[in-house]
Amino acid sequence: MKKRRQQGILTGMPFMANLAPRTFVDDLGRKIFLAKPPARVVSLAPSVTESLFAIGLDQEIVGVTEYCDYPPQARTRPKVGYARPNIEAIVALQPDLVLAPREFMRADVLGKLEQLKIPVYIIEARTIEDVPSNILTLGRMFERAPAANQVAARIRERIASVKQKTAALPRLRLLYVLNSQPLITVGPGSFIHHLIELAGGTNVAARAAVPYPRLNMEEVLKEDPQVIVFPVGSAEGISEADRQLWQRWSMLSAVRQGRLHTIPSDLLNRPGPRIVDGLDRLVRIVHPEAFEGGNSP
Amino acid sequence: MGTGDWSGAPGAGTDVTAVGLASRGSVASGAVGRSSVLTPQRWGVTLLGLGLLALAIALVCLRFGAEPIGFSEMLRVLGLVVRDGEAGAESAGATGVILVQVRLPRILLALLVGGCLATVGVGLQALLRNPLADPYVLGISSGAALGAALAILLGIGTSVASLSALPLCAFLGGLGSILVVYRIASSYGHLPIHTLLLAGVILNAIFSALIMFVTSMMDPNRSFGMMSWLMGTLTAPDYPVLAVLTLYLILGAWVLFRQARSLNLLTLGEEAARALGVEVETVKRTVFFASALLTGAVVSVSGMIGFVGMVIPHAVRLVLGPDHRLLLPASALVGGAFLAAADTIARTLLAPAEMPVGVVTALAGGPVFIYLLAARKGRLSLS
Repeated sequence: MKKRRQQGILTGMPFMANLAPRTFVDDLGRKIFLAKPPARVVSLAPSVTESLFAIGLDQEIVGVTEYCDYPPQARTRPKVGYARPNIEAIVALQPDLVLAPREFMRADVLGKLEQLKIPVYIIEARTIEDVPSNILTLGRMFERAPAANQVAARIRERIASVKQKTAALPRLRLLYVLNSQPLITVGPGSFIHHLIELAGGTNVAARAAVPYPRLNMEEVLKEDPQVIVFPVGSAEGISEADRQLWQRWSMLSAVRQGRLHTIPSDLLNRPGPRIVDGLDRLVRIVHPEAFEGGNSP
Repeated sequence: MGTGDWSGAPGAGTDVTAVGLASRGSVASGAVGRSSVLTPQRWGVTLLGLGLLALAIALVCLRFGAEPIGFSEMLRVLGLVVRDGEAGAESAGATGVILVQVRLPRILLALLVGGCLATVGVGLQALLRNPLADPYVLGISSGAALGAALAILLGIGTSVASLSALPLCAFLGGLGSILVVYRIASSYGHLPIHTLLLAGVILNAIFSALIMFVTSMMDPNRSFGMMSWLMGTLTAPDYPVLAVLTLYLILGAWVLFRQARSLNLLTLGEEAARALGVEVETVKRTVFFASALLTGAVVSVSGMIGFVGMVIPHAVRLVLGPDHRLLLPASALVGGAFLAAADTIARTLLAPAEMPVGVVTALAGGPVFIYLLAARKGRLSLS
């Protein structure tokens, strides 16, 4: 899934990058022309907010979602909603640009904002490699290329080091439990499936045809996961009810060896700069033996 | 679970009037209630036959699943289980675990839940003298689901699986909505079908809106699971969970079965029933209370599964006639078998993924519902 960013109409020549064209093509293929770097931007996704802060745009972020809790100063910005963005609140902030995720962007909201002449740029990450390239795009958009290059390079380095670490290690069968009753997990086509594979795991739901399948328990027993991962809120553990529920399946390798782990869901659900921290956590869960020294990659 | 009185005056009276109802009702579909004289022999033979049918369907369902297991292999494992209990299941390895820990409890749950829903449907249809009544259509299921959703939001039941405070909250929600339906229904005496359906639709809309609101207050990760559960879900329960649910079912069903003769008389109208010595108000309260109890228990483990409670009593009534002494237990057996079959489709069609069983029952039941409405030009009867 390589993304092709259109370089504008006039040029594709790398040595003219300092004259970067101000036309951008978003992940829905819509063309957006920005005469100058936006001075007021509204972010409709926590991952976008984190990316913007990471390249030093504290001043420009004027509106965020109620889930934007990182970095801490994100909490101080006006909230405009998440799954149901409030158009009035967005308009009142007079943004030059709205950055929105693909999955929660409703066509009616998009249409309304377009009608109000507020440019909306849809940003999406299908795989972890999209995270640094999205940050580079933001860098060009806001003329923060040096900072963006640095952040993106660091992310790419850490991804490469994880790949290198897990290349020689055996793959462990992993079950990722979004919900226990009914059992909902991640399948191919979801961002987290890709992270699991990257971290040296094999997703037991790899045969499912949808990104977030309800998984049949028979399939779980047959695939016999060696590790079970529960995404949880930043401070929670596995709920007592879930714990009891899974202890029943004593024939599963993961249960027998006590390899039920939690992971802060924010670290994996947000394709922003902290995604590599999430990946790290996942690698440490799947392959603790690779970190005997305790040094982070 | 007979009611003892096979030839008393009220019973005989019922039979006569039932024939009267039958001949007036289902002319369009050509199905007239068969021999409506219910003898102990006929009662026993019919229920035995249906019981065997349900058992056969359950065995077929046990054979099918995400994991292919042949009939002979299945019977071999079942034999081991019957002989050595749990040790027998373990000796059969993964196949044993899948059959005994995953598939069997889930089929038993389907039998229980389907049986509960159909039984409640029969009771409500008799009470409201309206063949379209069922816990789902009348908003009782969504009332119970709202109770459960609130419990989850407030952290009373930490997981949808825990059988602690959840059934109680679902029960209270179901009871609340059933009382509203009851108020609306009783303010007219005999309620026109459209008014009742409208009341149900409106209640459903109100409760659905509240459920949506509660869900929107949740963390997206939790609300996703919640939504999924609401669509109607059967999972492989723990045997203790099954035992608790069975207790609920036996209690509720026993209360309803004891009202069978009164329900027979109630289908004649409240005045007539009163004249024949039925304590109408007591019967109503009892049936409503038992319905709320059963619906609450079912919804708290399986979310909202529609159409079983409406379509199954209908089908059974068409074939076996309107006598509730037979209709109630027969509907329980058929409802259970139907849901077990529907859940088997839900489990296997997209394997290894699953679909919500509520989708299957609605797709199977919806067209039947429309057909019934069309065939009888909106004039449905209870016979």
